[in-house]
Amino acid sequence: MNTTVKITINGETYEEHIPNRMLLVDFIREVAMQTGTHVGCTYEGVCGACTIQLDGEAIKSCLMLAVQADGHQVTTVEGLAKDGELTSLQKAFNEHHALQCGYCTPGILMNMDEFIKKNPNPTEEEIRHGLVGNLCRCTGYAHIVAAVKDAAGKSA
Amino acid sequence: MYPAAIEKYVRPETVAEAIGAIGCFAAGEAIFLAGGQSVMQAVKTRLLRPRCVVDLQSVKELKGVSVGVSGVTIGSMTPYAALAQETSLDGAYQAVRDAAARVGDRQVRNRGTIGGSICWNYVAACMPAVALSLGMEMALKGKGGARNLPAHEFLGSPLETAREDEEILVSLNLPTALANTGSAYKKWGLVTDALPVVGVCASITTDGSGNCASARIAVGGLGEGPRRSSAAESALVNVSVDDLDGIARALQVGSDEIETQSDMWADSDYRKQLIRSLGAEVVATAFARAAS
Repeated sequence: MNTTVKITINGETYEEHIPNRMLLVDFIREVAMQTGTHVGCTYEGVCGACTIQLDGEAIKSCLMLAVQADGHQVTTVEGLAKDGELTSLQKAFNEHHALQCGYCTPGILMNMDEFIKKNPNPTEEEIRHGLVGNLCRCTGYAHIVAAVKDAAGKSA
Repeated sequence: MYPAAIEKYVRPETVAEAIGAIGCFAAGEAIFLAGGQSVMQAVKTRLLRPRCVVDLQSVKELKGVSVGVSGVTIGSMTPYAALAQETSLDGAYQAVRDAAARVGDRQVRNRGTIGGSICWNYVAACMPAVALSLGMEMALKGKGGARNLPAHEFLGSPLETAREDEEILVSLNLPTALANTGSAYKKWGLVTDALPVVGVCASITTDGSGNCASARIAVGGLGEGPRRSSAAESALVNVSVDDLDGIARALQVGSDEIETQSDMWADSDYRKQLIRSLGAEVVATAFARAAS
């Protein structure tokens, strides 16, 4: 019923004896206490608020068991800024008012952080296509698209 | 929306170990976990209550695309994101890239696999129609040995396949493509990249003068499961890329032949219209790819 796992989150390794059925998002939030990763759709895998990076790839942490992440590197929104310095994507979200309530923002940042690394010069259509897996009910996406476009130009 | 208790979690590194691990439990009590983008939803809603999860993430022999003398082998654990970038499929098998690039969303494409999708055979999935149109063969292995099944024998009604619980899908195999062959896939859903209400895949082989020598048309999103349209396929023979009326006639007899369901997403007539309009687009794209 339980397995001992070693999961590295934002550079810190957590060795824990956990139930096999525990979801990765709950390990992140309730074991590692990194609560920047959110649960929006009660674990249905449709809202994208729980998006993290597993070995650098954006994935939904509610669609994985925590035991599956044993031996892997997880990056959450808390791991983006280095030494208190926000990334250009995070700064662009601030400058372009790309969030209102902010609930979806961590997931969008983790998805778009990987997206602009792989596609440093995206078109608006590519950005919108890249955002399909993240629901935002405040902004209407226009400012999010503008922020991603701005940040992509700056990190290239 | 939380999994029932799971007694055992195993992460084999070879196909043989995976088959051994699943065999430790009675049929149906242990499941293979590929990308988990559909199966984990079923586990969380307790549609599935596995006692044991056999996670295939570390089985390296199940990953990647290889092109050899006898054709193309797509490892069952190859994720959509990799398939969408796989230029070795261009031309005859480009429909795989079309479908993979628009499945779900970025996060799902990073983790979801072609083999997981085909084994789940969800009604609103893209890969089953692609597999039928391209003539994929499913290579299965179990404790009783190995067997290969053509897509039409493998795929059943939605959520049903010919795979036994203890069998693992090793790869999806494509024969060496005929010359002058192109394929394309397109889906339609209520919002961008939504699950397909209807998806159509076309594979066209042209003769020396650019006319259609043979065609394979498959449709997904159907209540009875994905299927080919032999009526559309035979009506396309000898049609040229410029013969828009001929293409439209072929898709008309195709949409007449296929039984479509009405549901909250679209009624039966609208599904038939989608088969015709998406069909005309993918046939035109397949012709163009056959010529290039």
